Amino acid sequence: MNIITEKVKEVLFSVLPITIIVLILNFTLTPLDTPLLIRFIIGAILIILGLSVFLFGVDIGITPLGKHMGAFLTKTNKIWIVVITGVILGFFISVAEPDLHILAGQVDAVTGGLVSKIGIVIIVSVGIALMLSLGLIRIVFNFPLYKLLSILYLIIFGLALFTSSGFLAISFDASGATTGALTVPFILALALGVSSLKKDSKASEKDSFGLVGVTSTGAIIAVMLMSIFTSNDKISGSLENNIIQSDSIIAPFINKLPHLMIEIFFALLPVLIIFLIFQKISFRLSKKAVVKILKGFLYTFIGLILFLTGVNAGFMDVGSILGQRIASLDNMSYLVIIGFVLGFVTILAEPAVYVLTHQVETVTSGYVKRKVVLLALSIGVGIAVALSMLRIIVPEIQLWHYLLPGYIISIMLSFFSPKLFVGIAFDSGGVASGPMTATFILAFAQGAAEALEGANVLVDGFGMIAMVALTPILALQTLGLIFKIKASKGGIKKYE
Amino acid sequence: MNNYLDKCEIELLCIIVNNGLGSKIIRVAKQHGILGGTVFLGKGTIKNKVLEFLDLTDINKEIVIMFSDTKTANNALEELDRVFTFKKPNHGIAFSTSVKSLIGTHQCSNINQYRSENNIMYDAIYVIVEKGKAESVVEAATKVGAKGGTIINARGSGIHETSKLFAMDIEPEREIVLILSESINTEIITASISEELKIDEPGNGIIFIQSVNNVYGVY
Repeated sequence: MNIITEKVKEVLFSVLPITIIVLILNFTLTPLDTPLLIRFIIGAILIILGLSVFLFGVDIGITPLGKHMGAFLTKTNKIWIVVITGVILGFFISVAEPDLHILAGQVDAVTGGLVSKIGIVIIVSVGIALMLSLGLIRIVFNFPLYKLLSILYLIIFGLALFTSSGFLAISFDASGATTGALTVPFILALALGVSSLKKDSKASEKDSFGLVGVTSTGAIIAVMLMSIFTSNDKISGSLENNIIQSDSIIAPFINKLPHLMIEIFFALLPVLIIFLIFQKISFRLSKKAVVKILKGFLYTFIGLILFLTGVNAGFMDVGSILGQRIASLDNMSYLVIIGFVLGFVTILAEPAVYVLTHQVETVTSGYVKRKVVLLALSIGVGIAVALSMLRIIVPEIQLWHYLLPGYIISIMLSFFSPKLFVGIAFDSGGVASGPMTATFILAFAQGAAEALEGANVLVDGFGMIAMVALTPILALQTLGLIFKIKASKGGIKKYE
Repeated sequence: MNNYLDKCEIELLCIIVNNGLGSKIIRVAKQHGILGGTVFLGKGTIKNKVLEFLDLTDINKEIVIMFSDTKTANNALEELDRVFTFKKPNHGIAFSTSVKSLIGTHQCSNINQYRSENNIMYDAIYVIVEKGKAESVVEAATKVGAKGGTIINARGSGIHETSKLFAMDIEPEREIVLILSESINTEIITASISEELKIDEPGNGIIFIQSVNNVYGVY
């Protein structure tokens, strides 16, 4: 059972830090009610189990499918097949993404129904579909990633001038929301499959990354265009406070379960159908391989249910209450410091992070170690949460005060940083803003905003994911620069 | 160059361990006189009924290869065995094989032809170079008659790269090219590769050659 214990051990290392930090907070600064605490611990156990099972599913189901798919696309050697398949894949995966539906529902609520939920889902999905296609074309035609990203972000900056500040936050949030736990592993594997056929090993390696980054710009551009064309500059209304203060321990878990099951089922369905169709027309894998991939899907399904139930029923309320209680403390610096620590440890438990870091290690044959990538990610997200807390405390700081310089620096760095890291960095932006951040950290921020006078739950709530998507880009490109400097052969001169 | 080393017998150490241990193996080996190593990733399988039913049989492995003269090699293997206790199950496998010749390291920089070449028709030429250079290796080899090459992605560190990042050794990326050639062609091919990639100069990679007893599929 070596292999299972190993996986569980790895997952433990990623989930225990957040659990321990919350427990420490419980015994020091912010005592939690007993039922809440018990639910948190049950949640943590579910997350550990769910994440382990989910990752097995990704390993034997989602990733192989993505690789087969990518290799198939390249082998056809026909650009129109790449374009059409990219569009179809992108659209259906994005339409089925539960995170997008939540975001769309929130936007629907805050704009008073002016922008319908279905409208947003479809527009964002079209954006994602087109960009996924573009990202694939880029890999096939060897167009440098940093140039494409520069062009895309230039377009985004241009559009941002005409977008109202409320929608600015929503659009950047959308980029994070659409790249969820299921989409990211699939897109990562797709990029790997397409680029692994390249003869030039260096190009193959660096092109294995960056597709998630390109794809997520689709969501930003789509929402911005939508905001401009509907000329909606008002954000009014409020989000319903969906924190159930229940004393029951088990009820929240049972309440969440059926809803999550349906959601995940529909998220997984398009990928499954695509697999079956392609198996019929092109892959023709052996029966054993098909069964293995199908088992992978089953694990993914079960794992995600356990994981998301744990996060939603066990972690979310704790996040919100922690935010409220810490914000009520006299010393405001606590909020920033604890924000940093929570961001630092939460990201470790993010499913897609695990997938990305492993892919980095495999593609580079272990040259870029997963621990280094994890550390950079943790620092990045920690800073993101700390900065967001600062924004909640000081109302004068607007979201774009962070985003504009942040993205300008990211683009500038992409010209100097090793190109492999540019791809990893922009991918990690999408990877970091997964279900764990979208629930726990977001709840924490909203809780803090609620407790503080002068902070607006709505304005401060949106934009949180945007920050978490931005800082890893900076952190990993910086890491790339460090690698570049350090990896130069220092000792060689001695021998000449 | 050290004269006695020119005549040394070279051994190839090959160690297969679970993912993540490769760098540790190299670190320990370096403490016992080995100058560097190359790591590549592989997949192993497990025999276990439950896991087979669940289809969870793939396990990631790291394969470490290192060179040294026989004496150092044996010593290092013993030390590695002491540290990593290979005799326990699931702790990995280690073995060593003979190498016909080695170019590109200071330890033994001569081509040694100490082994009899009777009945040996083919040689396996391994070239370990920096990432991205494998293609020029294959080009240089095919130019003088090799039939082709197989490229394996790897990472590794020699004596030239010792920089650290957050207390972790940086092991730059490598590519290993495996070329099977008839023994009569081996010398021309290695010479061509060696010239093209300047293997003689330090830090540009290494070539080693092993005898192959049977070959199928090379025509």
